[in-house]
Amino acid sequence: MSTRVEERRTTRGEPGSQRPVRPRPSVGSYLALLAVAGVLLVLFVRTTTSTLSLSFGLFSVPLTVSIAGVLVVAVLALGWRLRTGPLLVLGVMAVIATCWWAGSGIGFTLSPLWEDLHRARPVVDGFLNPNWGFIVRVWDQWVVTIAMAVVATTVGCLIGLLLALGASPVSSPTTWTSQLIKAANSVVRSIPDIGYGLLFVAMLGGTAGGAGPMAGVLALVMFNIGIVAKLTGETIDSVDLGPVEAAAASGASLAQRNRAAVVPQILPGFFSYTLYTFELNIRASVVLGIVGAGGVGQVITVQLSHFSYSNISAIMIALVAVVLAVDYLSLTIRRRLT
Amino acid sequence: MTDSRPAMISFESVDVVYPGGVRGLADVDLRIDDGEFIVIVGLSGAGKSTLLRAVNGLVPYTSGTLTVGDEVVDPHSRRRLRRLRSRVGMIFQSFNLVSRISVLHNVLVGRSSQTPTWRSLLGWYRPEDREIAFQSLERVGIVEKAYVRASTLSGGQQQRVAIARALAQDPEVLLADEPVASLDPPTAHQVLQDLRRINRELGITTIVNLHHLDMARRYADRVIGMRGGRIVFDAPVEEADDAAVEEIYQRSLTADDVAGSVDLDRDGSDGGAPGAQDR
Repeated sequence: MSTRVEERRTTRGEPGSQRPVRPRPSVGSYLALLAVAGVLLVLFVRTTTSTLSLSFGLFSVPLTVSIAGVLVVAVLALGWRLRTGPLLVLGVMAVIATCWWAGSGIGFTLSPLWEDLHRARPVVDGFLNPNWGFIVRVWDQWVVTIAMAVVATTVGCLIGLLLALGASPVSSPTTWTSQLIKAANSVVRSIPDIGYGLLFVAMLGGTAGGAGPMAGVLALVMFNIGIVAKLTGETIDSVDLGPVEAAAASGASLAQRNRAAVVPQILPGFFSYTLYTFELNIRASVVLGIVGAGGVGQVITVQLSHFSYSNISAIMIALVAVVLAVDYLSLTIRRRLT
Repeated sequence: MTDSRPAMISFESVDVVYPGGVRGLADVDLRIDDGEFIVIVGLSGAGKSTLLRAVNGLVPYTSGTLTVGDEVVDPHSRRRLRRLRSRVGMIFQSFNLVSRISVLHNVLVGRSSQTPTWRSLLGWYRPEDREIAFQSLERVGIVEKAYVRASTLSGGQQQRVAIARALAQDPEVLLADEPVASLDPPTAHQVLQDLRRINRELGITTIVNLHHLDMARRYADRVIGMRGGRIVFDAPVEEADDAAVEEIYQRSLTADDVAGSVDLDRDGSDGGAPGAQDR
């Protein structure tokens, strides 16, 4: 017994002289990677559009090219040190090259943020002096925004639930129906909320015609249907099939089976998604207001055209407060649900 | 087993071929009389579950004729399947209760076929259906748990709720697919005793799939052995001796096959907690 303990101690003393070592990737592949890195560096130098440079007294180097170059070389060195396979290193290099291409394609640069600061002066001044009284003066528009969100959430989520039941193969009458409704849901989801906003404002007339909030509600409903049908449908896909089979075996019809065995299982998830869409709706209804769907967003558009930045500032701050409050409220409720 | 009475369930050269081409049942001929208590034994994959599920159409049979009562099972007509299933109760290895709703509402699912859809959707069942549900719960002895969430019950209690759900259908046939495989041996015996008692009291024809040979011998009227989708043994329980079962299993019996009785004796002598047997 004691000798075994002794043995264990001695082996513990020398860390891993006999441990298997990760095989080193072939030198050839890393030489090839080095060549790729060289090509990339040349590419960076040739395609750079940035005029920023780092100066070291006597000479200066272009800033963006050096950052990208250092990154590529660092990835290569780290890969060699950690004996990473050449494919992974090549992948990381490809990501860097793609980002370079994308960034230079749109002329991405942060320099206007400090170079054109003087132009932003009145805007920043306005934002730093919010006109608090304005929040209360447009209180009726706040009510419109919240009301739009409440109505749209209720209607959209109920329709979304029905579509989700139709879309999941678990609760759908036939696989054919399920495929069809799934495809329809994808189409509904592919149009963004602002797209629906523009569509319904064009159809019903915007705030000027008095139909702004109605157009906004319809846009939000479509937006909510897309989200809820997708999330709830996926929840239904993963329910426990046992109770569903048991209900079927007792002679229940499809509707009875869904009501008795599917809905109770997905209800907490569904409520949680409903609260989440309500949060999204408060935010989205502001954006919809900007395209003419009534509510606080409408106020922002009007104030923007008057260059009243201190009014907008007050609205923005109030909006952040409202969104945070709704966030917190729904978080509290969601915690209790499960 | 007299031929003068009409058969409750009859299989006439029934085949089940699954969509993947796997053969679940092969040329099964079987006649089950009203009120029998039948236990089906066999290794995993022998076709026991397929046989049970063919009876209520959960698995559609592909050829032959399968009759329950005076009605031929038609796997392609949803309406006729629902009517058939309302007469055939089923319980499962994993109980298959909806864990988030009350015991009573789980049992009321068994009344679905007799309940208008709008009532089911609202969850507003008729008083007489609730009464039937309560009586079913009484029969398995857990009526006091009616308003408790199903998920808070123990495994044995959950399986009793599942039996109550099947009884609420007022079925002529009860199918039990490995009903005790998820339970510890003492609880398993209690559940089987319940099934046996209900079979005697109400005369419901009962078919049970079991793994443990000893439980089969203890409760069955008649034992059916299956292998490779075929019925290879069919006799009164007295004839199901070790040699017969070794023939069904195609190997000699192991301690595991007969685990049931050992555990029950243990439990009887030292008053429970047979932790070592809880595999």
